[in-house]
Amino acid sequence: MSTEEKSAAPRSLAEALRVRDDVSLAALLRSRPDLITPVPTDLTQLATRAGTRASVVRALERLDRFALQTAEALAVAPDPATYAELLRLMGGDDEDPAVRAALPRAVALLREQALVWGADDRLRLVRTARELLAPSPQHPSPTGLGPTVREATAGMSPGRIQEILAAAGLPSTHDSVSAVTALGGLFEDRRRMAELLAGLSEESREVLARLVWGPPYGQVTHDPAAHLRALLDRGLLLPTAPGTVVLPREVALHLRAGRAHRAPEPVPPAVEAAATHRPQVVDATAAGQALAALGTVAELLKEWDEGGPAVLRAGGLSVRDLKRTAVVLDLPEPVAAFWLELAYAAGLIASDGEADERYAPTPAYDEWRELPPAERWAGLVRTWLTATRTPGVVGGRDAKDRTLSALGPNLDRSAAPEVRHRVLALLAGLPEGASPTEESVLARLRWERPLRGPERERREEDLRSRLARWTLSEAELLGVTGRGALSAPGRALIGAPEPSHPAPAPEGPGDKLPVHHRTPAPPAPPAPGERAAAEAAAARLLAPLLPEPLDHVLLQADLTAVAPGLLERELADVLGVLADVESKGGATVYRFTPGSVRRALDAGQAAADLHAFLARHSRTPVPQPLTYLIDDVARRHGRLRVGAASAYVRCDDDATLDEILADRRGAGLGLRRLAPTVLAAQADPAALLEGLRAMGFAPAAESAAGDVVIARADAHRTPPRAAPEPVPDGPPAPDDTLLAAAIRAVRAGDLASTAPRKPGAGGGAPGGELPRTGAAETLATMQAAVLTGEALWIGYVNAEGAASQRVIAPIRVEGGFVTAYDHTADEVRTYPLHRVTGVAELADDVT
Amino acid sequence: MNGPLIVQSDKTLLLEVDHERAGDCRRAIAPFAELERAPEHIHTYRVTPLGLWNARAAGHDAEQVVDALVEYSRYPVPHALLVDIAETMDRYGRLTLSKHPAHGLVLTTTDRPVLEEVLKSKRIAPLVGARIDADTVAVHPSERGQIKQTLLKLGWPAEDLAGYVDGEAHPIDLAEDGWALRPYQKQAVENFWHGGSGVVVLPCGAGKTLVGAGAMAQARSTTLILVTNTVSARQWKHELVKRTSLTEDEIGEYSGTRKEIRPVTIATYQVLTTRRKGVYPHLELFDSRDWGLIVYDEVHLLPAPVFKFTADLQARRRLGLTATLVREDGRESDVFSLIGPKRFDAPWKEIEAQGYIAPADCVEVRVNLTDAERLAYATAEAEEKYRFCATTDTKRKVTEAIVRRFAGQQILVIGQYIDQLDELGEHLGAPVIKGETSNAQREKLFESFRQGEISVLVVSKVANFSIDLPEATVAIQVSGTFGSRQEEAQRLGRVLRPKADGHQAHFYSVVARDTLDQDFAAHRQRFLAEQGYAYRIMDADEVLGEGV
Repeated sequence: MSTEEKSAAPRSLAEALRVRDDVSLAALLRSRPDLITPVPTDLTQLATRAGTRASVVRALERLDRFALQTAEALAVAPDPATYAELLRLMGGDDEDPAVRAALPRAVALLREQALVWGADDRLRLVRTARELLAPSPQHPSPTGLGPTVREATAGMSPGRIQEILAAAGLPSTHDSVSAVTALGGLFEDRRRMAELLAGLSEESREVLARLVWGPPYGQVTHDPAAHLRALLDRGLLLPTAPGTVVLPREVALHLRAGRAHRAPEPVPPAVEAAATHRPQVVDATAAGQALAALGTVAELLKEWDEGGPAVLRAGGLSVRDLKRTAVVLDLPEPVAAFWLELAYAAGLIASDGEADERYAPTPAYDEWRELPPAERWAGLVRTWLTATRTPGVVGGRDAKDRTLSALGPNLDRSAAPEVRHRVLALLAGLPEGASPTEESVLARLRWERPLRGPERERREEDLRSRLARWTLSEAELLGVTGRGALSAPGRALIGAPEPSHPAPAPEGPGDKLPVHHRTPAPPAPPAPGERAAAEAAAARLLAPLLPEPLDHVLLQADLTAVAPGLLERELADVLGVLADVESKGGATVYRFTPGSVRRALDAGQAAADLHAFLARHSRTPVPQPLTYLIDDVARRHGRLRVGAASAYVRCDDDATLDEILADRRGAGLGLRRLAPTVLAAQADPAALLEGLRAMGFAPAAESAAGDVVIARADAHRTPPRAAPEPVPDGPPAPDDTLLAAAIRAVRAGDLASTAPRKPGAGGGAPGGELPRTGAAETLATMQAAVLTGEALWIGYVNAEGAASQRVIAPIRVEGGFVTAYDHTADEVRTYPLHRVTGVAELADDVT
Repeated sequence: MNGPLIVQSDKTLLLEVDHERAGDCRRAIAPFAELERAPEHIHTYRVTPLGLWNARAAGHDAEQVVDALVEYSRYPVPHALLVDIAETMDRYGRLTLSKHPAHGLVLTTTDRPVLEEVLKSKRIAPLVGARIDADTVAVHPSERGQIKQTLLKLGWPAEDLAGYVDGEAHPIDLAEDGWALRPYQKQAVENFWHGGSGVVVLPCGAGKTLVGAGAMAQARSTTLILVTNTVSARQWKHELVKRTSLTEDEIGEYSGTRKEIRPVTIATYQVLTTRRKGVYPHLELFDSRDWGLIVYDEVHLLPAPVFKFTADLQARRRLGLTATLVREDGRESDVFSLIGPKRFDAPWKEIEAQGYIAPADCVEVRVNLTDAERLAYATAEAEEKYRFCATTDTKRKVTEAIVRRFAGQQILVIGQYIDQLDELGEHLGAPVIKGETSNAQREKLFESFRQGEISVLVVSKVANFSIDLPEATVAIQVSGTFGSRQEEAQRLGRVLRPKADGHQAHFYSVVARDTLDQDFAAHRQRFLAEQGYAYRIMDADEVLGEGV
């Protein structure tokens, strides 16, 4: 970092950011929204924040494989590196044309993300990223490269270095530094290096070949064999610890023909089509499935209409209740869990919050079911696209080995919406009607968001692939895809362009110049406004695909009715009462039984109503056995009458009762004559007494013996409930307004802070007042100091409350602590930031 | 997308029969779907793994099945269902049983992991011998049936190509004098013979016996015929004597009463499954001759022990005859693995259209009990209840009315309670045949009924079982019929053949309303309706009104 800079070239990330235009800053902030939460005061702070470990890790995790490989290559390249050097590392000595084509895009992406700055002749990887990606014995680099000669010889005795120099055929030098430089120069010289290697035995070369693609470390015994000794002597292997040797980076690069990666992947793997169906078939299948989806959700909610299963104490649905629901819906459990979660995420079911908590439909359900089918579908699919709740993990176990129950806690997976959107976008990239192979979709996703380094647990990787797999099957269930191919409504839903105008391929050549703006990153889901429009479009496309509801059924002599399609809801509701559903699907088969007919009669239909209903809706003559069945049941129905009354009025005088009935003021009491001398009332006895007295009678209360109160089963609803909010990972992507505002604020702050400023005010020489600065400023200054390596003067209050002043050189600011070299104490110490009362920069000459 | 077929999520197929393409569709789906119900407008077929494997055995592939569904389906077929079908069908034929010149019976595979998987099963291990090569394993010849059964249970049905023994030759020819096998019967015999073993599915009354006879004439070897009961045995014998070159002496009856073993032997399931002291004493029948063909009548009623015997007879040709593959005990898979896949299935509608069968006009007449009878019924002991409602007085009046209505036609009145029958006989002026009627008397009455000298005959259930029960155009059932619904439907079919003069056959069932009688009738009603019998209900008042 001590090299001279041209005055025009930026000297720090902050400066590099300062020269970027608003559009490119907006691109940065959009892809790394964590940088503006909260909005930084100026560009220095923005740069500082962009350099924090957490933010850099987050940014690196969101790179595609080639960009990540490029960053990894930069981490093993000299700092700064030229573009040509980087190209050599990525493309090898022969400069792979595919890599050559793709590299500008990757570099532009890294620049945009503020992971790399500087012009093409001085590309610099942000220091934190370099630390994260550079190989170290603890964290081997994915490149499989070891340390440089300089790093590997750091602790070596000068005598030994000179020996190596001699063995490698180089003249001896005066000091170790020049010796190491000479050795490095030899290793980097392809021709001389080839000669050196040619002089080695076959066995020695084999050892090198074993280490070349990493891991670069090997074990040697105390007394190595001759072929190993030859390598050690020439410095082709360098000792790192007793018994361990390493292949220096320069040697490995020579053996790899300059390539940092064994297999650079400049081009994303293509999503392959497994089959292509006619678009009409796809749309029809998807529409059928969409209809089935609505049916399933409606059936589920109907099942729970009068109160669903109990909520577990820990939240969620018990395994037994899930099983039962699956049986009722005639679906496998995971699929039933999917529908449950979907209804829950859509706010259609919720816990009723009563003492013994149960699940029940929400009032939103009643609104939802009034919507036209296409809109009902759009509502469900919207929920699905944005929900972070992931039904796929139901039945699995969480970190504490508790079973994850449907509707229960810990089902949120923040990556889910993005993966769903991305998978659908990939499908949209295929020609119309083509269904992809699952493997190719997964491979593509893995390319777009590779695992960074082996230290990430495999589970994380699995999750994204699993999410993608679930997405494919759930999309089919919902009718977003049909036969595995994206349907027209599905296409509209994600806002994909018409297939006739395919989207510009994201793997396109990209920016040739180190400009900072490029097309928006593909994985970004649309903004809420666009999404609503897309949903409306999808619903419009779906509506004509859905079959018109039928107004008729076919009645048969075996006492079945077949509805050869979707029925009008009213008709379906009545028929659902009058007959039992025997099979579902495209059609519905109903069976009339004495029980079902009785149910209809119970629901208040008269036999004549039923006959009329059937005659009206049957396309075929009503079969005689059915007529007989209804008549037979009706004949016996209601011979015995049971009713519920809250109170009664008894009077031996019929006329008095006539009078009461005739009185209009008694309307609210729900009076009905059961027998000449008895009235039944729906009002409770107290209200009845009150009412009768108001009418001028003088009733006397009778003992309650014999009074029957039967509570009528009623539809059970929760209080109004909000649907669970998706739990995204990190802050939401900011919209343009917010971005513009943020950039304006940052620029303004930047102007203020970069205006020439006199030292003084709070930042005087040590010995004055304790410096006092705000927490944000303290943090920003500290972070800036980490980057610049400057020393600071801080005021500090220790745990006992004693204030002191210290001069420190911050090394790392992380998690509320600053780790610094304390000049006052002459050692490295860690201070909690909240105990730092203030901070001031030192005059340059102090240290 | 306006096909006649609707695919349901429970894998039933609904076929709208009035649709213009219903016939094509029916032909397309018949190979793999079983007809479950055939009421007037919409027929229900079911797709099962067995059905799909049947289709594979008949040479159809998954693509054809999927095409048929997609082609005729009114609504898009769920993708998952199509995938499931393809996967299921793909399982058949991965394993084959065949004869190896050196190693005898062997099981070979075209897909090694499948063989490895089944060989790992504990149930397969004792049935196989040495591994011959990576794809082949020897099978103990005696376990041919067992292994097929077990493999089917494991979900990997094996194709049996191991061939058959010829059996003891015996000349049998069809005596086609003045009649001939109908085209579909010929086709059935041909398909069966070509396939080696298997099941022929024909609707009631479509002449399954003749298919059996045709198969025997093809095999020209000693034949063992297994039938449900003695009545059926005698009918078979009667038919065989009439339709083939076989004489009475060549055909033996092996039943509870007679134990004859002849070149063609007809045995009842009942005698075979009789158990004494834990053994089946009549089992040696299977080994008593070198049978070249075994015919199973009414395969859907085949009792469980017979399956066990059949497992040991895999080297003999087996012909199953039935009206439906659906078994009430769910052992369809044993039929498939032990007797064989479905070889022929005649579309009901086609046979009907050709005029070979005609569903009878079934009418249920509902009569009201009088108030006194109702009281008696309500307070009767449980076991007496049925008798009370079945013998109500009103039934007699209704029966008389019906008899009057069909005056001049041949009418059978069938009942269970002798008192009731005697009374009816008296009122109708018709002779009564019951248990105590002597055989000579029966013969005489039957003969004069056939000749038309008597037009009304009252018979009890006993007579109902008699082989020479004459045909009639009208049957009136006043009481009785417990037992299997299917048995009843078949008896019906037998009594009520369509008449040469085009008279429709009528079957009246007189039932007392709101009683046990009606509950039994409801069952029967559903079954008959599902079988496609036109079915009506009438009030006693209507009948009485018409009759006057």
